[in-house]
Parts: sequence; C-alpha cells; structure tokens
Amino acid sequence: MFGRLIEVFDRRLGFREEFKRNVLDHPVPPRINLTYCFGGITFLLYLLLAVTGVAMLFFYVPSIDHAFVTVEYITFDLPLGNPIRAIHHWSANIMITAVFLHMLRVYVYGAYKNPREFNWVTGVFLFGITLAFGFTGYLLPWDQKAYWATKVGVLMPKSLPVAGPFLSQLLMGGDDLGALTLSRFFAIHVAVLPILTVIFLAGHFWMIRRLGISKPL
Amino acid sequence: MSGSKEDNMEENGKKVTRRKFLEAGIGVITGAIAVGLGGTALTSIGAPAITNKREGKWVEAGNASELADGQFHKIGITYDAKDGWLEGKVKQLVYVKVNGEEVFALSATCTHLGCNVNFDEQSGNFKCPCHSGVYDATGENVSGPPTHSLAKLEAKVEDGKLMINTALKEA
Repeated sequence: MFGRLIEVFDRRLGFREEFKRNVLDHPVPPRINLTYCFGGITFLLYLLLAVTGVAMLFFYVPSIDHAFVTVEYITFDLPLGNPIRAIHHWSANIMITAVFLHMLRVYVYGAYKNPREFNWVTGVFLFGITLAFGFTGYLLPWDQKAYWATKVGVLMPKSLPVAGPFLSQLLMGGDDLGALTLSRFFAIHVAVLPILTVIFLAGHFWMIRRLGISKPL
Repeated sequence: MSGSKEDNMEENGKKVTRRKFLEAGIGVITGAIAVGLGGTALTSIGAPAITNKREGKWVEAGNASELADGQFHKIGITYDAKDGWLEGKVKQLVYVKVNGEEVFALSATCTHLGCNVNFDEQSGNFKCPCHSGVYDATGENVSGPPTHSLAKLEAKVEDGKLMINTALKEA
C-alpha cells in the first residue's frame, strides 16, 4: 500500500532518483573520517530539539506564576513527558559540544578557507544562535538554578562601556529579572531563534552543496 | 524511500551489496528515530485526552430534610477539580427531588448547547431559555432542538445530608 502510494508520486515527480543522486550516491572526497559527522550530528540534534520543543509547547506556560508548575506537570504527570524533556535537555547540552567539535574540525582542517569563507561566517552566526538558545532556554523552567544563572548572565553586559547598562535592561525588559524577562526569553527561544536558525542553516547547507566539502588534509 | 530499497532486495533476489545494506541501514535508523521521537511526542500531546478526566466524587449539597417535599430544587454544587497543572473549581447546577430516602438528580445543563434549563411548575417540564428545548420531569427530551435527555447524577441521603456524585451520566 505504502509502496504504491510512493509510486504514484514518484512516477510524476521522480524524487526517488533525485534522492538517490543527491543523498545516497552523493560523491564526497576520499579518506573522509568520522570527524566530518559533527555537522550532521548537530543538525540531527536540532531536529530532536525542534520536535521535543514543539511537544512541550503544548503544556508549558511562559509566566512566572505557571512556568515551574507546568514544567513539573510535564516532568511528573504527563505520560512520556519526562523522556521528552530529557531528550530536549540532553540534545541541547550535546548540541553545544557537537557545534564546538564541528568548528574545531573545520578550523584544524583549514576548511574555512577560500571559497568557503561564507560557510564559516554563517557557521559563526549559527554558533551564536546555538548559545543564545542555550541561554534563553535555561531560564524557562523558572527554578532557582534558572533564575540565578540568568541573573548572572543578564548582569554581565552591564560592565560594557556606555551602552552596558541599557543592554542589560534590554535583556531583562526593565530593572528586574521577572515576568517580562521570562516572556521575552520565551519569545526569543521559541520564535526568533528558530527562524534565524532556518535562515542561516539554509545558506550554510546551500553553500556546502554548491561547493562540496573540502578535501581532507 | 527506504522501504523501496528493501523491496528491491527481496524481489530481485540478488546478493545484497554493501551499498544496498548501508542504504537499508540508513533507512532503518532514520525510520526508528522518526517513529520513536514522533511517537513519543504525539503520545504525550494526545495523552491528556485520556488522563485529564473529570472524576466523579461525592459532594455534600445541604440537609435532606429541608428538601424532602417531593419537589424539584435547584442546587448549585461547587467542587475542586484538577485541570492539568491547576486545582480549579467546577460549578454544576443540579435539579434534585427528594422523597424520603429516594433522591432523583438531574443536571440542569441543556444537551443542545449547554444553557441552564428552568423548571416550569405549571407544566411540570424543564424549559431551556435559549432555544425553547423542553424536557419532562424525568429529564427526557420532549420537544425543541435537544436530541438527548438531561444527564442524570447519582444522589443519596447519608446521615440526613444530601450527597450528590459529580459524575454526569449522559444518556
């Protein structure tokens, strides 16, 4: 049944051939090793984070009255809620590591050099976005650890010259770390950053398809 | 796409090349991740439909002796109910008729669109003010838009107190 259904689309669109040519039989330079996987691992983790994140969006409430209660609900009451939160938690942690290893590999192999400079540039943006994901997501459970870690984070820019205090207030949405901070961190975490990621990832992926990955040393 | 690879392997009966084996492997692993993750996410999103139920519990609704005149009385019962992560209150309007030990309780919620019905003493019927649905004294729908009778509730007299179970028994 499923095979027949695929056949209906494939006869018209020929995606099976396309998939074979672009994915399964896509040529890569010889002597590639496992360190070339970190980019793909990062992308896989991003997908895991997206799916588990959307699942938790069904239950999480971004207000200081309810954030912690709803996180407790997800963790202890919701069937399979705990594994979903755990996958989100661990994927997030591992993603930071995977991004770092990916960058390290590209740096050590010199893969950022001409003509791939803009891959490095979009990659650096994606690195920043990943860290921003981590920073904003950390506050959302609204527990003691989240509160005080974010307190430290939002006060750091304060020591910058001239614009420092304003940047800090901009992050917090005022003078205090409170309701407005939580809702703006939530908005950044679930709407702004995912859209930015998709934009930069599209460029990152398109360019690497266009240029091919660099040959090993 | 991965499925087609496996089909090919069975159909042409040729020996499985390393390439085909790896392609099938990619398909299996990708499928396992997709099914595992998607299944987990969908299960927890769907679960409250089954787990977040309003449970029936017995609540006290006044002294039975004051109501024991064989007439319908309109009583509002309020009780604690868990609503996801919140402890909320649920209000339910009930019509009760007490005859000694025998208690008859009907939900006042019209089965058409959920307005509260009124008991009309002249006709002995329940009438809905919204769209003129009419139910008789046993809760059966008689005329108007309702297609179902009023929901019944379990009720009893215990130590002189009228007790009502909040679970609605819909017809």
